[in-house]
Amino acid sequence: MTDTKTQDAFKAREQLASAASSEVIIDLNKVNKWFGDFHVLKDIDLIVHKGERIVICGPSGSGKSTLIRCINHLEEHQEGTIIVDGITLDKNLKHIDHIRTEVGMVFQSFNLFPHLSVLENLTLGPIWVRKMPKSEARANAMKYLERVKIPEQADKFPGQLSGGQQQRVAIARSLCMNPKIMLFDEPTSALDPEMIKEVLDVMVELADTGMTMIVVTHEMGFAKTIADRVIFMDEGDIVEENEPNAFFDNPRHERTKLFLSQIL
Amino acid sequence: MAFVKTTPSMARKAPLSEGTLLGWLRLNLFASVFNSILTVFVLFIIFFTVKALWIWGIADAVWVADTRRECFNININGACWAGIIAWLDGIFYGRYPRDELWRINLGGIMLFIWMAPLWLPRVQGKILVGLSTVALYPFLAGYLFAGGDKGVFMQIMVTAAIVALAANIANAAIGFFINGNLPDFIIRSIRQNEAPEARQRNILLAILAALFIAVFVWQMNWTVEVVSWTRWGGLFLTFVIAGIGIASALPGGILLALGRRSKLTVIRVLSTSFIEVFRSVPLITVLFMATTMFPLFMPEGFVLNKLVQVIIAVCLFNACYLAETVRAGLQAIPNGQYEGAHTIGLGYWKTMGLIIMPQALKHMIPNIVGSFIGLLKDTTLVSIIGLFDVLTILRSISKDGPWLGLHQEALVFGAMLFFVLCFAMSKYSRHLEAKLSTGHKN
Repeated sequence: MTDTKTQDAFKAREQLASAASSEVIIDLNKVNKWFGDFHVLKDIDLIVHKGERIVICGPSGSGKSTLIRCINHLEEHQEGTIIVDGITLDKNLKHIDHIRTEVGMVFQSFNLFPHLSVLENLTLGPIWVRKMPKSEARANAMKYLERVKIPEQADKFPGQLSGGQQQRVAIARSLCMNPKIMLFDEPTSALDPEMIKEVLDVMVELADTGMTMIVVTHEMGFAKTIADRVIFMDEGDIVEENEPNAFFDNPRHERTKLFLSQIL
Repeated sequence: MAFVKTTPSMARKAPLSEGTLLGWLRLNLFASVFNSILTVFVLFIIFFTVKALWIWGIADAVWVADTRRECFNININGACWAGIIAWLDGIFYGRYPRDELWRINLGGIMLFIWMAPLWLPRVQGKILVGLSTVALYPFLAGYLFAGGDKGVFMQIMVTAAIVALAANIANAAIGFFINGNLPDFIIRSIRQNEAPEARQRNILLAILAALFIAVFVWQMNWTVEVVSWTRWGGLFLTFVIAGIGIASALPGGILLALGRRSKLTVIRVLSTSFIEVFRSVPLITVLFMATTMFPLFMPEGFVLNKLVQVIIAVCLFNACYLAETVRAGLQAIPNGQYEGAHTIGLGYWKTMGLIIMPQALKHMIPNIVGSFIGLLKDTTLVSIIGLFDVLTILRSISKDGPWLGLHQEALVFGAMLFFVLCFAMSKYSRHLEAKLSTGHKN
């Protein structure tokens, strides 16, 4: 009985997932992770297709940040398999380095390099990792700075920019590496309200280009506009997963209902 | 209850204490009766100290005399600077042969020329300038000072140093006067700027090789007379020990600090024990160990000169101290910086070299310079194991026949010398901090 039920659930999720396209780019299978004794991720299964845009939400401590940090191996999972772009994440450092060049990440606290100018922040990866000639890297960086609408800040240092501008630089820095996947870990949580919009606008534009995106956020308006799927996590579990309209208008799980009633 | 402001607030003049000298005096020195009494009292003490020093050191001082007795005859209340002046050569160069002093001067001038581009605006490749100073200059200077027969190794290093110095000067001149850097300039002047990068690189390498061979052949016949290390002394020796110590302690300290934070157990344990052992013994002990114990562990007939042993001891000792300073700096860098670096695909060494170290070292400038100042002052300890550093020379003045008993002046002069050097370093570190600051830290 329970077996068929889980199988049904799995099928339903599969259908939801395959709505976007067919090429699988991230495949998490029974992923478990502990911080000491604390079980943060419990048997997480997740399949992401190329070009899909997924929003993950949930209360703090639910494991949503840990989940996306496992995808580029900033956190190491202990059980289960993670396959990104056809490469299994394991102890092999070469695989990890390779995956990190394919997966861009934007953090809540920006993590720009304060001792380098904005332009140097953007060209560092292409020059040192991609071995791009300097002039080309600079032109490339300016292109992305224009895309996030702050080309005039190229020669400033991160400390001289506002939070919203810094976060847009961080997005541009990731894009300069020409990644296949972009991960966003609460990109607007550290920002003043009037700056949230400028960052979300950039992310919406990025979504329109067909980038595969996984976004941990509580910006529900944003989720409704761009997400193909919304995933709700609680206590290390994926509790509910649905396409955004159904998710917000008709949450089914008790905890989802409670969570949505608190934040909306 | 609504409030709407109707008239804007006007800016007013700042209170007296801001900006004017009189206001500052009122606020800081004469704020209350007790405060005023203290101020007057301190001014009184300063006045008498300075006055006494002025009379002894300048007004009543004797500048020209042949012996200390003569000084006394001219003015017994003043300092006898004539003795110091007579000994200046000794203080600066120790017992280095007087005919060969030009070698020390040339070495000093070369160091100045080598490092000057670091302070010139618009010059490119300053990191290379700094690295070559540390990596190549010591060989050129070392040969110049010690002289004698160059082995093959020294031939190569001296050649490399000369080539590097020439390239450095050319690069600095191009950067300063016409903007750009040496490689670009060469490529442009032979009209190869459209050529593919690999070809450009090959051309540059060929020019470098040709230059290297030319210099190598030229310097083969260039030798200078041997000057045994036992004749090195004075401020020159102090600079040699402190200079090598400073240049090698920082890279050594960085490596040890990284080793101590390494995930590899063997490296971590080795680095940690090395650091802890050297940090828990006084420098004097290390110096004695280096000169008396170390030869016992070496195979029979293996003789390393005492100066080299001392320099190695000073380097290791200070590397261990700096390792802890650097480690503290590394710990101040938030984890997000490592994560940011990892997400753009940088590996361990690139993360450390490009992201973490530059920030950590910047935070650490005051502490690092503090260690360097300590190192410079600690070099005076080598007098105990029989090297003639500047302090030994200063103290030997009082045992020199004509200047018998000239302690005070010699030591005051030594104090002034060290003060000038250390104060300059400290000031420069402040300047560096201000220059490298890039606004907010996060």
